[in-house]
Amino acid sequence: MRAAIVVMFALLFPFTAFAHHTDPPTTGSHTKHYEHSLFKVTEKGLFSVEMVVKEKELKVGVNTLDVIIHDKNDKDVVGAEITVVPWMPEMGHGVFEKPVVRERGGGLYSGENIILIMEGHWELRMKIGKGTVEDTVTFDFPNVKVSEAPSQGEHKMTYSSAPADLDTSAVRESAKKQFKVSYVSEMMPIPVGRIISWKLIVETADGRPVNDADITMEGGMPEHGHGLPTQPEVTKGTAAGEYAVQGLKFSMPGWWTISFKIRAQTMDDSVTFNLLVQ
Amino acid sequence: MVAIGMVLTSMVLCSVMINSLSATEPDMHGWNEGEVSVLRSLWIGSLPPLPKDPSNAYADNPKARAFGQKLFFDPRFSGNLKVSCATCHRPDMSFTDDLPLAHGMGSTTRRSMPLLGVAYNSWFFWDGRKDSLWSQALGPLESNVEHGFTRTACAYLISEYYRSEYEEIFGKMPDITNAVASPATEDIIVLKTWVSMAPAKKEAVNRIYANMGKAIAAYVRTIVPGPSRFDRYVKALFNNDMTALQESLTSMEINGLRLFIGKAKCTNCHGGPLFTNSDFHNTGVPTPAKMSPDKGRADGIKKVLSDEFNCLGSYSDAGPRDCAELRFVDTKTEKYVGAFKTPTLRNVAERAPYMHAGQFATLKEVLEFYRQSKSHEINHGELTDEELSQLEAFLHTLSGPL
Repeated sequence: MRAAIVVMFALLFPFTAFAHHTDPPTTGSHTKHYEHSLFKVTEKGLFSVEMVVKEKELKVGVNTLDVIIHDKNDKDVVGAEITVVPWMPEMGHGVFEKPVVRERGGGLYSGENIILIMEGHWELRMKIGKGTVEDTVTFDFPNVKVSEAPSQGEHKMTYSSAPADLDTSAVRESAKKQFKVSYVSEMMPIPVGRIISWKLIVETADGRPVNDADITMEGGMPEHGHGLPTQPEVTKGTAAGEYAVQGLKFSMPGWWTISFKIRAQTMDDSVTFNLLVQ
Repeated sequence: MVAIGMVLTSMVLCSVMINSLSATEPDMHGWNEGEVSVLRSLWIGSLPPLPKDPSNAYADNPKARAFGQKLFFDPRFSGNLKVSCATCHRPDMSFTDDLPLAHGMGSTTRRSMPLLGVAYNSWFFWDGRKDSLWSQALGPLESNVEHGFTRTACAYLISEYYRSEYEEIFGKMPDITNAVASPATEDIIVLKTWVSMAPAKKEAVNRIYANMGKAIAAYVRTIVPGPSRFDRYVKALFNNDMTALQESLTSMEINGLRLFIGKAKCTNCHGGPLFTNSDFHNTGVPTPAKMSPDKGRADGIKKVLSDEFNCLGSYSDAGPRDCAELRFVDTKTEKYVGAFKTPTLRNVAERAPYMHAGQFATLKEVLEFYRQSKSHEINHGELTDEELSQLEAFLHTLSGPL
């Protein structure tokens, strides 16, 4: 009798062991951390991948995503080697830039520079390696579209229509009221499609010129959701409180915003000008 | 009795006609102030004089223009003696051709661009990989599938057949040996021959090559569009010339024009007297089957920055303060993946097919593509079939002489 039981266990044990490997658990041992995330277990069940797309949906253009990797015991996987290969199965091609995956710690990794070049059906084919083991998983995105939300670039534009009483003044107070900023355009009215220069005049709230300010700029067309078509430069001007803005181009008519971030002395502020280019 | 009947009938008919005429005229040709301003901006009369090209000292030189015109039509500057600039830029086809992909010695991966008004551009080719007209002209000469030629062979031909024209404009030609050599080639032997040339000889050949481009550009600059029916309409509007107004555009075409500057928002990119902002946009035009995806302007920016004939290069005549477009070019190339230059719409109805690889055979297909596009670059209200036909009718009114 005992022999029979031993034989039974001996016979059963291998099956249970196999069952553990061929039947990856889908709940219980792999926990989701975020509500709005995509969750998949790898092919051999070695890892679970929870993916959060930065801008909620993958889109044409630059995408960033976070992935949390857990092993089959639901522990953070650190020091893994992760590759992400975007692929269009029907088109038979991928992307031009190799996505970069950086480890953030605690099982968290960021995939940056995932540049999808067109609309359509995309897969993100991931390979996760840790030590001597390796596994794969594919996330499917059947309908990647051109962005309906703010697009890439240093300035995230929102798609919005020009407000009814748009302040198009060339003299404005900065956001925290620390500066009074004005611009004088080399050409008025602002021409379309031509590179022009501006003189920017920065004063304190009580009218003293601000010299040696550190000024950066950005801008674009809120209604179209795109940024500036050139890379203008802000340099020190000749007179007190004056700066030269060179290389500005307004490539089409409509509502443009031009913003300056100004750091001077102990002050740190920003100002935005609105323009209606005709 | 009959006479009275006839008079009465004709009176009724006349009044009906007069009523119908006066009922449509004010509605048809009524434009508000904002619209008139847009029409003026699209009118060919608003085209400014040809911009100066500081990088080309010979741009407005009449002798250079005459020389350049001869070069433009000369097929000897090609590997098979059959390809000239005019092969793909045909004067009878608005200085483009009718192929989806241009074909010189072989097939290329892009459509020929039309040359009308090209001198008003800051960037050249669909991807803007050249920043002057003269450096653009030099590109196809050394492309295997276009002219399939080399700069040394160009220099040799000029010394053989155009020496006096060349020397009258550019001064004495140095000694040219007939070597087939070029730095811009896939042919290893041609490349090695170039590398093995003495530096002074390379410099001499580059100089002649650059001058050749400058002469061609002096000619191509003069290819500008003439007034179209649309322009006649706008002029009639300014002159309050009701007869001319009625004779220029039909009601269908006027409806198309209203859509073009209004609901369909075409003027966002197709604005100005050349109907283009000459900027780069990714409108999601599909890659043709069997072709690799085209990175467009993203690659173009890198290419123009490394072009030996760019505005800041040693063969350019520009001073350091001149090259604003190149100096302030946007280096964030990832924004421009798949972006291509907006072409002019003048003569658009005469020059199918359309888009950078000739993806659309008819204007109807182009408009249909724009209608269904979800891209924010092409954002217009729902357009009906009738509205699409009206837009198409309007586009036909942009044809004029060259």
